[in-house]
Amino acid sequence: MSTYETLEVWTDGTVGWLVFDRPEAGNAIDAHMFTELEAAWEQLEADPDVRVIVNTGSGRAFQTGLDVRQLARDKEALRTSSRQTRDFALRMTGWHCGVTKPVIAAVNGTCAGGGLHFVADADIVIAAETATFLDPHVSVGQVSAFETIGLLKKAPMAEVARMAFLGAHERLSAERARQIGIVSEVVAPDALRARAGEIAAEVARHDPAVLATIKATLWNALEHA
Amino acid sequence: MTASGNYDHLIVEREGPVGWLINDRPDVRNAMNNAMRDEFAEAWKELDADPAVRVIVHTGNGRDFQTGVDVSELATDGVGMERYRQSMEDFDVHFTSWHQGVWKPVITAVNGICCGGGFHWVADADIVIAASDAQFFDPHTSVGQVVAIEAIGLMKKMPVEAVMRMAFMGKYERVGADRAYELGMISEIVDPPARLRERAQELGETIAKNSPAAMAATKKALWGALEAGLTDACKEGAKHLVSMWGHPDQNEGPAAFADKREPRWQSLDGDT
Repeated sequence: MSTYETLEVWTDGTVGWLVFDRPEAGNAIDAHMFTELEAAWEQLEADPDVRVIVNTGSGRAFQTGLDVRQLARDKEALRTSSRQTRDFALRMTGWHCGVTKPVIAAVNGTCAGGGLHFVADADIVIAAETATFLDPHVSVGQVSAFETIGLLKKAPMAEVARMAFLGAHERLSAERARQIGIVSEVVAPDALRARAGEIAAEVARHDPAVLATIKATLWNALEHA
Repeated sequence: MTASGNYDHLIVEREGPVGWLINDRPDVRNAMNNAMRDEFAEAWKELDADPAVRVIVHTGNGRDFQTGVDVSELATDGVGMERYRQSMEDFDVHFTSWHQGVWKPVITAVNGICCGGGFHWVADADIVIAASDAQFFDPHTSVGQVVAIEAIGLMKKMPVEAVMRMAFMGKYERVGADRAYELGMISEIVDPPARLRERAQELGETIAKNSPAAMAATKKALWGALEAGLTDACKEGAKHLVSMWGHPDQNEGPAAFADKREPRWQSLDGDT
């Protein structure tokens, strides 16, 4: 198995795990993770033993978006991320990377800004009771677009717009996220990984070709106004 | 508060960074007559053009938020709905913030009853909150009218079954604030109801702490997403996102964060 510096990637039976692993930085995406994410999704997609992928984070946060300060120090990475943003050619999430297997996001803590990519682009989302969701973009002079557009296609707009416009000044709770259907299940923090693994194993009992067809069909339905 | 303009059927005020647009025909449950329809067009533009206004709150005076078109005027003026035939056929209407191209955040604060055409301002707002005694229903079919525009807008933003049920149940069933909250039609219930305006002002002041230019671009990206499929919406969204690159607010935000102070954003008209 490949080794990563900013991610933990392993397989457990039919379930592939992709875990953000920069807990000291809220699992923010630095230049390294930016590159490793694409490699990790491709590895799990290509592995014939993996039928379902679980995406979660190490430590207290799930994912807090681009580490802009670190990226700015790496000119090449900054150029790449700027170009991918401008052209909407990002390679961070399963959806971006064309993953055909079901993806379960298990939100273990704070999910902020660009972290919402991984919620919007997952098929199934569960969360720890302590998880919170916020989109601080407009509080630091940035536009919120891809993440909230993705959520808008899947959840009531009044709540998504509220998150976009309140910025850093309000957090959506795991329970409210469950009520409005951004999340389908909320569990105790120490039970999150076990529960995500259980759900993944249940999903993995189904014919992979059928799962892939369903996923392609349903996501295609989001491609129409 | 400072009031402004010469409106007979609306109140337009400012309090801090929050612009208020208040339906003001409480004796007829804020039903919209022809004159009020024209005033809406002007009031949205007035608040949108004022750089001191960063967020707009829309609510109703008296017991109810809004109850659609003024049916008694329609029944007695000899013109009736024919007055609106051309503008409806062309969908050339001007009474909501969406119709008027307002790119500042708009909060609708529903007090009491919101029915029929009142849903225009629920569908066309960004954020919707309601008093705990708010009630929603759509009586169009019960008076032989088609509901289209308001329900279409709502369907884009919330579970469709609830919208269809309101459309077909007409005046014979009402949706309470609790159910509206469960459905995500509103994002907050304010209790007691008398606190509604105070809470809307608080919410507006909080939103006003964020970059006006970034919020305008975000609003364009989100409303654009209702017009397009996911990938196309993201590609359009990228244009709005990139439109802020190089804007002074993109430096001011991180700088203020580092200095532990409130950011000093550019106004939408370019002044600081």
